[in-house]
Amino acid sequence: MSVDIVVPPLSQTMDTVVLVEWMKEPGDQVERGENLFAIETEKAILEIESPASGVLRQVLVEPGTEVEVGEKIGTITGAGESLSDQEEAKPVVAQDAAPPPAISTVPGTAAEATIAEPRERPVEQGQRILSSPRARRLAKQEAVDLAVLTGSGPEGMIVEQDVKEYLSKQGRVGVAGQSVTMSPLRQTIARRMLESHQTTAPVTLTREVDATELVHLREQLVEDLTDEDVRPTYTDLLISLVARCLRRHPALNARRDGANIIVDEQVHIATAVDTERGLLAPVIRDADRKELLELTRERAELVRRATDGNTTPEQLIGGTFTVTNLGAVGIDAFTPIINLPQVAILGVGRIRPAPAVHEGELCIRNLMHLSLTFDHCVVDGAPAAHFLQDLAELIEEPSLI
Amino acid sequence: MPEMSIAESLRQAIREEMARDERVFCIGEDIGIEGGFGGAFTVTLGLSEEFGHDRIIDTPISEIAIAGVAVGAALAGMRPIADVQYGDFLFCMMDQLANQAAKMRYMSGGQVSVPMVMRAPVGATARGAQHAQSLEAFFTHIPGLKVVAPATAYDAKGLLKSAVRDDNPVLVFEHKLLYGSKGPRSERGALSPRGEVPEEEYLVPIGEAIVRREGQDVTIVGKLLTVYRALAAADTLSKQGIEAEVIDPRTLVPLDKELILDSVRKTGRLVIAEEDNLTGGWAADVAAIVAEEAFMWLDAPIKRVSAPDVPPPFAPVLEREYVPSAEKIVAAAQSLF
Repeated sequence: MSVDIVVPPLSQTMDTVVLVEWMKEPGDQVERGENLFAIETEKAILEIESPASGVLRQVLVEPGTEVEVGEKIGTITGAGESLSDQEEAKPVVAQDAAPPPAISTVPGTAAEATIAEPRERPVEQGQRILSSPRARRLAKQEAVDLAVLTGSGPEGMIVEQDVKEYLSKQGRVGVAGQSVTMSPLRQTIARRMLESHQTTAPVTLTREVDATELVHLREQLVEDLTDEDVRPTYTDLLISLVARCLRRHPALNARRDGANIIVDEQVHIATAVDTERGLLAPVIRDADRKELLELTRERAELVRRATDGNTTPEQLIGGTFTVTNLGAVGIDAFTPIINLPQVAILGVGRIRPAPAVHEGELCIRNLMHLSLTFDHCVVDGAPAAHFLQDLAELIEEPSLI
Repeated sequence: MPEMSIAESLRQAIREEMARDERVFCIGEDIGIEGGFGGAFTVTLGLSEEFGHDRIIDTPISEIAIAGVAVGAALAGMRPIADVQYGDFLFCMMDQLANQAAKMRYMSGGQVSVPMVMRAPVGATARGAQHAQSLEAFFTHIPGLKVVAPATAYDAKGLLKSAVRDDNPVLVFEHKLLYGSKGPRSERGALSPRGEVPEEEYLVPIGEAIVRREGQDVTIVGKLLTVYRALAAADTLSKQGIEAEVIDPRTLVPLDKELILDSVRKTGRLVIAEEDNLTGGWAADVAAIVAEEAFMWLDAPIKRVSAPDVPPPFAPVLEREYVPSAEKIVAAAQSLF
């Protein structure tokens, strides 16, 4: 029995996507639910799970091709099965050169002969992994578990190239002294970042904010919520404040579409998550209307899914403003890049105790920096500064929410 | 700059060193007789007319005498360039080379030295088991001897001149198929690795290897004739998308192992090609060095392409099977991917 692989519907507005990558090769075994191919939408690269378990028999579309939602792009069959006669006529069957099987008792067809036998995984539990010293060296350096790799070297041995390809698929680029092809996700990030930098007039405003009250509020919340399963982080608190503030500053809650500026009625906050494969920005919808705890739970789930590589397409689209927090890694201020087609992004710095003047007294306060990058093509400096001013006041007196 | 064959550039080296230092003389069988070939492979042709029979000394057919005279003369302060017609005959003089020449400097605590050169043609050229062996590995195993193996005309002159000036006994191995493809003593199937050889003074230092072709996918180490087989193999591999780096060690003792290790650290794969028999060979030693010092850089097993463990056969058909060909090197390299 064969199962068609089709492009899944990703949202109501998208008809076509680009097939970025097959994660399996024809002949490879694949499990239902395992990532099988990647597609690129306007918003993101998405990895799509296999609809069935079996052997990837046929690939109809090469990476880089635009495909329609619902289009058949490949076939999965059971192990040992071949494609039906009807399907043999399709393009995979580069058939003329391959001689027909000499022995008719072999239940194979000519088509099958062109498809490599599924390669056995090199290891089962407890078995020794065949790998070259060079592959082990790189795997150790990059903390890659050899058991997840399939060897392509002599005698099925895992060689350096296998580790490099794995790293490349993971979007990890830094292998000292070695050149690794950019993963599709990395390439997309690169393209988007460049596009943003080349098509916007970014201006970054920075402002120091007294976050002492915010710190108090969070301490209070953590104390009050001991019975709850979640605790709001500063990012959650800030997203909540930003979302409410944006309601009063719609100019920053907007999109640019060619010569048009579309001001969004709803506030959907994208939040940057650093994953092993690269940067993702899942979206919290209607963040301005959500209770803090609801928002906290939702964001925790989004971060978990992003880290596990299970983000769904819907979770990545529709953001109207982005918050990115580098405070946890000790950054004070920075110049974030606008997440197109949005027009502004807020960079959050670390909160640290520092000498400050408060109510005329020199004392120690918890200070932080906010960095707001906005597209001057769409928004002028004054409205952006006003937004930042309002936001700063909200942070300084967060109990107002 | 004149183009020369290896035989011509060796002759030029001898000529320059004899003119430069009157302690230098040649000794061997039929190297200077009138109407002769100038040794078995023309290297000393004409030198007896230039320098006279006192300095181009013909001996009876007695390798043990050649070696004995050379070792004794070197101990007495001369700088002999001795040769054998075929490297296989070095076995006749093993006591002089292995027990005397190699050890005198050590045994005397450095009070005497043995600044002699022993030239020896090697390689299978349809002459049967006693005129076809590649004996380099035997001599790399004896401490106290230096061993060089020039594969180009430039290196032949530069290395022989360095050998003459070295205060240690130096074995110079020359491949019979590399002397040149023209002339009365050219061997069937010989290559003609003619190259530009400066007329002026230059030395190729003993102990420096050279990269003959750059590549990043696999390192192939060859010496003497197998340098050329490796280069041919590299061309074939290149058409298949495999870029081989070919290294010619030029000197076997002392070995420039850093160049080989650096290359393996780059490519992760190593094939060693030599014409000697497999077991206990020089290739085995290079493989061991790399396994010991660059193990974690290897991405595949090390492959040796050597002659099988039988004497060189006389029948041409069998000999073709016996020697390491470019095809065998290609197959060995392919098996590493």
